[in-house]
Amino acid sequence: MKILAVCGFGVGSSMVLKMTLEKAVKELGLDAEVKNTDIASAKAEQADVYFTSAELKPDLESSTDKPVYAIKRYMDKDEVLKAMNAFLANKKGN
Amino acid sequence: MTCSLFNEDNVQIIDSAMNWKIALQKASEPLLKANIITPKYVASMIESIKKNGPYMVLTDYFALMHARPGDGVNKMGMSLLVSRNPIDLEGKPVKIFLVMAAIDNTSHLQSLQKVISIFMDTESYKTILSANKSAIVSMFKKVKC
Repeated sequence: MKILAVCGFGVGSSMVLKMTLEKAVKELGLDAEVKNTDIASAKAEQADVYFTSAELKPDLESSTDKPVYAIKRYMDKDEVLKAMNAFLANKKGN
Repeated sequence: MTCSLFNEDNVQIIDSAMNWKIALQKASEPLLKANIITPKYVASMIESIKKNGPYMVLTDYFALMHARPGDGVNKMGMSLLVSRNPIDLEGKPVKIFLVMAAIDNTSHLQSLQKVISIFMDTESYKTILSANKSAIVSMFKKVKC
């Protein structure tokens, strides 16, 4: 599974989100690769799921049919875990 | 002598600020003085918050402030401003402003990762919020330039 953490510039916030996602991945015991990038590159990069801010979510959603989850606080592991669990539950259902 | 990313000069403590723009300007001063960034970079950071919203507030009270790498940046650098009282950043209360200047997409990542892992540690985070300058400087000493 490939997970993409996305922010406006791909150099700061998304790196932090990537670190939080990696913690969540580890905690859930998932076999996944987490990468971070900027919004423009993200639109051209395939992933199984995207995590970004509420502000950037609509923009990203318009260019992919894969699920996009909005995270309010990039450093909040509980929030990220919740979003990841929602994604996993949804995936199972399909 | 090895150099630390944070020192007495680029860690600042304030009581409060009128608004987040003033706080950001103040937080950027050490980088401006050292010619690490130009005023253009400060303007870009303000522009970015207005355009993209306050998603740079990574957790309660902590904002990672930055703009596009290279544009108005002469070399990689960071500075830290801690306010004893919260300052409103587009609806979110912020006490910690971490300004980051990057020259490209990769060369700052190792330093940023080290800095953020300190922020992610609950006890260290409390120390930063306590606004005790010498404690903060010594905690970040292990992060090299």
